[in-house]
Amino acid sequence: MKHVMTMLLVLAAQAFGPVARADDMPTYSIVIRAGRFEPATLEVPANTRFRLSIKNEGPGAEEFESTELRKEKVLAPGASSFLVFQPLKPGSYRFFGEFHPDTAQGRIVAK
Amino acid sequence: MLNVVLVVWRESLEAMLIIGILHAWLVRNEAGRRGRNALWLGVAAGLLLAVALGWGMLEAQSALAGDALEYFQTGVLFVAAALITQMVFWMARHARNMRRQLEAELSSAADAGNWFGVAAIAALTVAREGAETVVFLYGASFEAGASSLGAAAALGVVLAAATSWLAARGLRLANTARLLRISSFLLLVFASALLVSGVDRLIGNGHLPPLVEPLWNSSALLDDASGAGNLVAQLAGYRAQPSLMLLIVWAAYWLIALVSLRRARSAR
Repeated sequence: MKHVMTMLLVLAAQAFGPVARADDMPTYSIVIRAGRFEPATLEVPANTRFRLSIKNEGPGAEEFESTELRKEKVLAPGASSFLVFQPLKPGSYRFFGEFHPDTAQGRIVAK
Repeated sequence: MLNVVLVVWRESLEAMLIIGILHAWLVRNEAGRRGRNALWLGVAAGLLLAVALGWGMLEAQSALAGDALEYFQTGVLFVAAALITQMVFWMARHARNMRRQLEAELSSAADAGNWFGVAAIAALTVAREGAETVVFLYGASFEAGASSLGAAAALGVVLAAATSWLAARGLRLANTARLLRISSFLLLVFASALLVSGVDRLIGNGHLPPLVEPLWNSSALLDDASGAGNLVAQLAGYRAQPSLMLLIVWAAYWLIALVSLRRARSAR
């Protein structure tokens, strides 16, 4: 059952094409540590697709979330993942960690 | 620990509310007994699915698996929105048939398929929100002692259940016609929020163009990134900086839903 599900999911992913192509786009990275983002402010070029790799060093899980950036990603402790962002207009976009909303706050500044 | 209580409350609230509303409506119906069984079966299946999906989220570390999970989660949003919307129409038709006193057999045959819908909605909403809770609690177990974590998580679930019970209790004070009206409206609100999340994900992944964005910015009025505004965003699909695409889909959804609902209520 599990394998069937995995196969179906993989097939679906291939049929629709990957969410993120790993072609040459700038990559930035953020580390989540003890319920905080490092760096909390990230500068990226405006009007450019880019990739954000996120590593959660724990100890807890975290959900990277941003309604402004339309992203939601759950990261288990120790997990790494990445998100691909569509070109952003110049401006400041907030994101936060849903599992540690008091401390996990950050922003992406597109210039 | 307060954080654990809050996160668990938040994550289970939507599923609990949907279950509470369906339950309140089923209690009111003579034929609802089997529906309630279906509801609880759905909840049980949803809990199992939540653990499986949570495990999948913990394991899905490769890029391909991450993509697959992203599509799966987006797909679940649209499926859940469609199922809930369809349920609202069926509830309206069901109420109309009850009034016209159609033969019991006829309506019970039509009901059988929809009890499956009840179960599917319960299972999907519980699984969707439960999976994140599973990952959160798994992670939190590294941050705090397991015993106090268990207590805090249980408290969060109890609080969400109490919130939903209060809402369902309030609903049951209303007469049948009003109960149906309020339930339908609330379910459509939840479904529209799921649709909004799904569309936002597609825009975020570049599968849909935002057209114009943002159309406006009401963050100063009600911020969708924190506190109450974020809860409204989650439950009702509020966005402080909506794109034109999102607004079009949202408006089209409500237009079609309300017109169809009116038709289901009155026409034959």
